Amino acid sequence: MLAAFTAGMTLAYTGMLALCLGLERHYRQIWRETPPVWLRRGLRVGGWMVLVMAFHACNLAWGAAMGAVGWFGLVSLTGFVLLLLLPYAPRLAVWLPVGGGLLWIGVLVTM
Amino acid sequence: MIRRLRDNPAWQARLDIGLRVAAATIGGYFFTYACTAAMARLLPLARFDAVMVSSLLAFAVYTAVIVWVFAAASAWRAWLGIALALPLAIIGFWPGLFGSGA
Amino acid sequence: MPRVKSFTQSMAWLHSWAGLILGWLLFAIFLTGTLTIFDKEINWWSQPELRDQQVTQQEAARAAWNWLAREHGDAEVWNISLPTERAPVMSVSIGDNRRSGGKVLDPHSEALVPVRESAGGNFLYHFHYTLHMPRTFGIWVVGLAAMAMLTALVTGIVIHKRIFKDFFTFRPVKGRRAWLDGHNACAVLMLPFHLMITYTGLVIFVMIYMPAAVDALYDGNREAMFREARPLAEKGAEPRQGNERRDGGRQGNERGPRMVEQAPAAEMLPLESFIGKAESVFGPGMVASMTISHPGRANAVVSLRPLLGSRIALTKGVEVRFDAVSGKLLQAPLEPRASALTQQVMTGLHFAQFGGYPMRWLYFLCSGVSCAMIATGLVLFAMKQRLRTAEVNRGHTFLRVVDVLNIAVVAGLVLGCIGMLWANRLLPVELAGRAGWEESLFFGIWGVSLLHAGWRQPGAAWREQLGVAALLCLGLPLLGFLTQDAGAMDTTRLSLALVAVLIGLMLAWTAWRVGRPAATNGVPHEPTQHLAGAG
Repeated sequence: MLAAFTAGMTLAYTGMLALCLGLERHYRQIWRETPPVWLRRGLRVGGWMVLVMAFHACNLAWGAAMGAVGWFGLVSLTGFVLLLLLPYAPRLAVWLPVGGGLLWIGVLVTM
Repeated sequence: MIRRLRDNPAWQARLDIGLRVAAATIGGYFFTYACTAAMARLLPLARFDAVMVSSLLAFAVYTAVIVWVFAAASAWRAWLGIALALPLAIIGFWPGLFGSGA
Repeated sequence: MPRVKSFTQSMAWLHSWAGLILGWLLFAIFLTGTLTIFDKEINWWSQPELRDQQVTQQEAARAAWNWLAREHGDAEVWNISLPTERAPVMSVSIGDNRRSGGKVLDPHSEALVPVRESAGGNFLYHFHYTLHMPRTFGIWVVGLAAMAMLTALVTGIVIHKRIFKDFFTFRPVKGRRAWLDGHNACAVLMLPFHLMITYTGLVIFVMIYMPAAVDALYDGNREAMFREARPLAEKGAEPRQGNERRDGGRQGNERGPRMVEQAPAAEMLPLESFIGKAESVFGPGMVASMTISHPGRANAVVSLRPLLGSRIALTKGVEVRFDAVSGKLLQAPLEPRASALTQQVMTGLHFAQFGGYPMRWLYFLCSGVSCAMIATGLVLFAMKQRLRTAEVNRGHTFLRVVDVLNIAVVAGLVLGCIGMLWANRLLPVELAGRAGWEESLFFGIWGVSLLHAGWRQPGAAWREQLGVAALLCLGLPLLGFLTQDAGAMDTTRLSLALVAVLIGLMLAWTAWRVGRPAATNGVPHEPTQHLAGAG
């Protein structure tokens, strides 16, 4: 359960990050350049797809009904963390999913 | 005296707000009460289910009423809307008018 | 105030006033609610005499049986509250009222453990929905506050024009913009949670708040309504009463006085054997407690109740009953009908007993953000009011009241809560009415906070009260080590101390930020494209 939960958390954050970078203002905030349209669209579509994957991970962690509740909570909270990180540590905000992935692997190995 | 109150814009604003607050809280509650009863009566469900469904929806109705009262063009119009509670209450509480009744 | 306001202006007015007047209550409700998510853990921390004895429920039931048979062999009813993951403690009691007066039993030595009396998590839980007022009155006041919250949420959506454009926007510069961004961020990102927790909170007491439908269709007879909903349960209970005093005329065998004629003595099956049977109904590790009526008699019945949380739906009064002598299943819980299940699911969503610790943490963090949203909203109101007061040179008293109440409610309540944890360790263990003293200290600290807020300037009062609260939080682990033997430090208590430290750091940071004069006064001349304060 903990592995699926960690995966869900990482995926939820990654999805929100992609959606956020799909907005011109925030893309500029981090990379200091205007994103091409195809990239913005790609990030948005990709972001939603990753959120769907997060939903699947939540279902694995909690089962169908509770998984939906957990998914809403994770998406909200990771989005909030992203929002707090953006002005203070934008680069960290972008690289955080790597840390989440490592954590997930760690949980997989130790469990 | 009354004329002076009526012509004073500050007093008018206060009266308007007071009437709306009363309409939203007290009036809104009675409207929701009547509406929930009417809904329970009219829903084509088994008696228990109708009560449950309409009761669970009551708070959404109440919220909508509060928002509507403050969005209405004038406080008097808001109270007119609240007066719709009367026909709803008749539907809800007149035994035998709809359905088999309690 | 213009005579005819636009829709957005009306909604902004409603948002700020509903948010302000009931926001003070709402903050108290949300903060205690947030802490209540970990009520059992707070209880555990509050009673350092308790140790996790690492026994299975079967071993615990065995020990309880031995003790009860020895000490209360002739009792009419035995109650055993079994050790669980969140509260690895066993307590026993006799008689009808299993909720109060349970004694803690050591499963190894089979002796009672003296435990200090403490308000702890239970106090926060009751405060959350009654505000420490008479129960029914308190429930209505909390319901009113919840309706204001619902109204503030809906109007907030209406007046926040750039809800998607500003979805991830947070500009922590000085002044009101940062507070407004923070308020919006807390609100928008957590909107599903805010709506869910407020609506489901109202649903818990729906039959108290809005009995209209029951009044219309059942003449207000709630019992008749729920009887109609479970005709099967009534039939299922039939065989149990069949072999008991049918002719006695009294319903409910636990409640009556001791029967004149007792059933003959009989050998019961081992009590621990029923735990596995109940787990096959409720799920592994989901049995919370058991009640044995007429123990040691031919008509002995074992009822087992589940933990809340094997599923989302919160079902109270669910139990599975067995004949304690033959082991025959007498009554299993029945699946409720869809509409009743809907209400149970909504209630369960509020109580957050499902999904284990990960879900508990999600709820804790989400409602922490709710508290932050309410607090920033209150601060925003004060900022806007300060500008208005300076502009028209009127309303100084009102501004003062708003400032003082903001400080006393937000900082004062945090102080009261952490102060109560300190009181738990500092008050003498043998003090009579100890839990009451803890509660008095909670309210006392709150009162002192109000006086202090009235005496000091707002900026200073915020800084000082948040600073003291931060120190108390940061010092909690230290206090724990000073006042108790190290043996009580287990994972749960250590985690609580760690969380207190983290909260302390956050409070210290807030005290530092808020204390700077520019942050509380707001910037007088800034573009006012956003409408979120007093209209």
